[in-house]
Amino acid sequence: MSEKLTRTQQKNLERLGGVNPADEMFSRRQFATQVGGYAAVAGAAVGAGLLLRDQWGMEGVKPPPPVRLPSFAIKDLPSSTPSVVVVRSTPKPSTDNREHDMEVREKQAFDMVKAALTEMGGVEKFIKKGDVVVIKPNVAFDKNPDLAATTQPDTLAAVVKLCKDAGARKVIVADNPINNPESCFFKTKVGDAALKAGAELMMPQDSYFEQLYVGGETITGTWRMFYRPFREATKVIGISPVKDHNLCKATVTMKNWYGLLGNPRNQFHQNIHGIISDFALMIKPTLVIADGRKLLMRNGPTGGSLNDVKQSDTIVVGTEGTAVDSWCVTRLLDKQRHEIIYLDKIIQRGLGNDWRPQWTKEVNLA
Amino acid sequence: MVKIRRAYEVLFLGLFLFFLVITDLRYLKGWPVSIFLEATPLVAVSTALTTHTIYRNLVWGLVIIAITMMLGRVWCNWMCPFGILHHFFGWIGNRRNTKQLIEINRYKKIYAIKYYILAAMLAMAALWMIPTAWDSPGKIISAYNGQMPKVVDGSRWIVDANGKREPWKVAPSTPIPQGFTLLERSGPDRVFGAIGQGIGAAAEEHKAKKSTLQIGLLDPIALTVRSMTTSVLPTVHMASEGIYTEPREYWQAWVVGLIFIGFLVANWFIPRFFCRAICPLGALLGVFSRFALWRIDRDPVRCTDCDLCLKSCEGASDPHKDLRKSECFVCLNCIEECPHDALTFRFLPRKASEITYPEIGRRQLMLAGIFGLMFFPMTRLSGAVKKNFNRAVIRPPGSVAEDEFLRRCIKCDQCIRVCPTNVLQPALFEAGLEGLWTPIMISKMGWCELNCTLCSQVCPTGAIREISIAEKLGVGPFESKGPVKTGTAFYNQGRCLPWAMDTSCVVCEEVCPVSPKAIFTRNVEVTDRWGATLQLKRPFIDPVKCIGCGICEHECPVKDDPAVYVTAIGESRDKNRSLLLGLVEENAQDLVSV
Repeated sequence: MSEKLTRTQQKNLERLGGVNPADEMFSRRQFATQVGGYAAVAGAAVGAGLLLRDQWGMEGVKPPPPVRLPSFAIKDLPSSTPSVVVVRSTPKPSTDNREHDMEVREKQAFDMVKAALTEMGGVEKFIKKGDVVVIKPNVAFDKNPDLAATTQPDTLAAVVKLCKDAGARKVIVADNPINNPESCFFKTKVGDAALKAGAELMMPQDSYFEQLYVGGETITGTWRMFYRPFREATKVIGISPVKDHNLCKATVTMKNWYGLLGNPRNQFHQNIHGIISDFALMIKPTLVIADGRKLLMRNGPTGGSLNDVKQSDTIVVGTEGTAVDSWCVTRLLDKQRHEIIYLDKIIQRGLGNDWRPQWTKEVNLA
Repeated sequence: MVKIRRAYEVLFLGLFLFFLVITDLRYLKGWPVSIFLEATPLVAVSTALTTHTIYRNLVWGLVIIAITMMLGRVWCNWMCPFGILHHFFGWIGNRRNTKQLIEINRYKKIYAIKYYILAAMLAMAALWMIPTAWDSPGKIISAYNGQMPKVVDGSRWIVDANGKREPWKVAPSTPIPQGFTLLERSGPDRVFGAIGQGIGAAAEEHKAKKSTLQIGLLDPIALTVRSMTTSVLPTVHMASEGIYTEPREYWQAWVVGLIFIGFLVANWFIPRFFCRAICPLGALLGVFSRFALWRIDRDPVRCTDCDLCLKSCEGASDPHKDLRKSECFVCLNCIEECPHDALTFRFLPRKASEITYPEIGRRQLMLAGIFGLMFFPMTRLSGAVKKNFNRAVIRPPGSVAEDEFLRRCIKCDQCIRVCPTNVLQPALFEAGLEGLWTPIMISKMGWCELNCTLCSQVCPTGAIREISIAEKLGVGPFESKGPVKTGTAFYNQGRCLPWAMDTSCVVCEEVCPVSPKAIFTRNVEVTDRWGATLQLKRPFIDPVKCIGCGICEHECPVKDDPAVYVTAIGESRDKNRSLLLGLVEENAQDLVSV
């Protein structure tokens, strides 16, 4: 400080002990920390920025890669295995004891499913020890099972038990119903039956859906699908009711897979036969079971009146959904085969085979 | 020095206004008209939080951050057009004497508000971090065990003949490219790989639907562009008739204008009120300015404590004692004002004579963060984005799906500025509170010009991604995808002249720009009220062809409540808003977040 200081400034200098701290140059240490710190942080910021930089513009919104479903069908079945097994049982008359009736019906369901599988070579042919089995019932509506709009709970329980007995590690029961999922699983009694039989329930959540590649006729690319249950699945069984449908005329095992689609699936009503035929491409289940013990003959797919329900005590099990459906619509729903356009579509596309007497076994239980 | 700064101020404000005026079909050419919007670091930082990317030119923001880390908040008084306007307005409105000026320019506690605003807005952009944190450990473990999908670098994109990148289409004939899993690695490579992959996968899974971008409400550039576009320029045009060819009207723009004027007039009561107390960008730069290598330094011997340096201090950074580094705008006025040359702009002055960090209360900061985290879900879950989306929220062509849109749009309204027909309008609450001042198309105001994609070209953040005319029209390489649809037109037959009033019309059919026309007619023969026979053409919509441009609604002679009107359903940016099955797969954007 060479120039002359005013009196105030001289006082300042004295107060500071004769040394002006502002005259000091920065230390080497300060230079190193500050300039080094600057270089490090600025470099990190710019580097991170360039790393995140989206030159093309839409990296941030690229879709996740689509998932695919492997085939769950059993490959080495003997050629003598029937592709459709029909099990009929004598009707069980109802008594005043409701609990007793339920037990009887549960046993009936178990015996019927078991008989069908025995005819196909036994449960062991299909379910191995350690398998994770996904069961897809149809619980689309929150209705009492007696109204026959949904899968019968005792049939589902029978299948769960058979899988568990065969050594399945886990059985997951999953559906994406039209009505509220909690109500549906609760009121169709399918939820309780599944839990009681030792299965897990999986209700749809937003994060459980993934883009599934189908590459079919109606879903030409991908569609949002209730994929989570299939992540660890090794076997898949569809259990559907046998019922009338206002648009596609019949809901059996093929239409059942509709319940795996995410929204806006209601658009598929603009091409219902196309979408159902796509299911034959989308999923190859281990087994399908048409639960024809109660049939919804009219006013489908919701029903709502016992007058629309017909007792039939028939269960159809098969490896070929198209054949099972074809058998059910003519023999159980009293419909003309040609009314069911989606079955013809599946067959035309070479994705399934129609029912043939030589591949069909019929069993009658007492 | 101050003269140089003034020159810069004139230069940058002039440049800003120049770009603002030429954001117009007639003058646009190739000018980088969105450069100011792209240069604000707040946009880069907050969109990086919401989208996990930095969109194209937003990297300019990093340059500003690097400059700030070297020289301090020079942006605020040298480059920021809003800051310069505040400077100018404060100067106009100044009626204080020296003593009053010194008092008004002392630091006040309320100047910390901007940091809380910033914290709240960044928290809104960062809610996804919570589920990501929950989810990461599990993801890291499964990555370590090789259960993650294989890493396939770059293979999800293919480059077509024009060099444009397209999402990799999964076709039955193309096998899924093979990648690698971490099982093939060992040691720390596998551990760090798993941590990176796990956190990355968790963040990727949770980024959608879990954040919103609200910095645009107060980002100074977005605020200025928005105010200029929707209220100042139309006003100037009314006086000068020199801005547009057709006068523009903007829906409820007075709200935007009033806020703008309010902030400018606030300078007369507290100089630089917006910059000192409100500006979230200033707060962000204030945080980064702690690294600044140069700053104002006071010589404690020469200083006679006259406080004259405060007389024209812009930032209220207390240069008369230990400098508040985070508040200083580097206007350099204090150096000029000091009668004893005690102040200098120095390289690495003593650490002891500065207040390095902004003075913020931890409790308040936490409260602001919690407010941001809580308030975003409340607005999002009010239903305007998903379940109860408004039919009037018709976004311009090229817009990304609504959730992604709200994570990108900074409400700068640059798209509205460039739109040649006035159809783009600042939404009020149509798109929910989150969508305040985001662009929507109001067809009574204008229509979406068929061969125009200007809005997609000027969007600084990719809320409207850049599309070509070919992509918009669905021709050439986009033939299989079909045109970009913004909505679908419907008839209100009770108001339509040929439908309800036995009068010939079909202006809508005439103006329908697509080929073949989306509006077609059926000839009918009716008996009118006097018994005579009338031939009428009654119009119908072909929803497959309709792109939602809205020119039919705009030209409908039933002006007040047009007999043909467009609603958002059928827009191709989101599968969930599609209408026709046939169009879903072909037309639905591949670029929607799921």
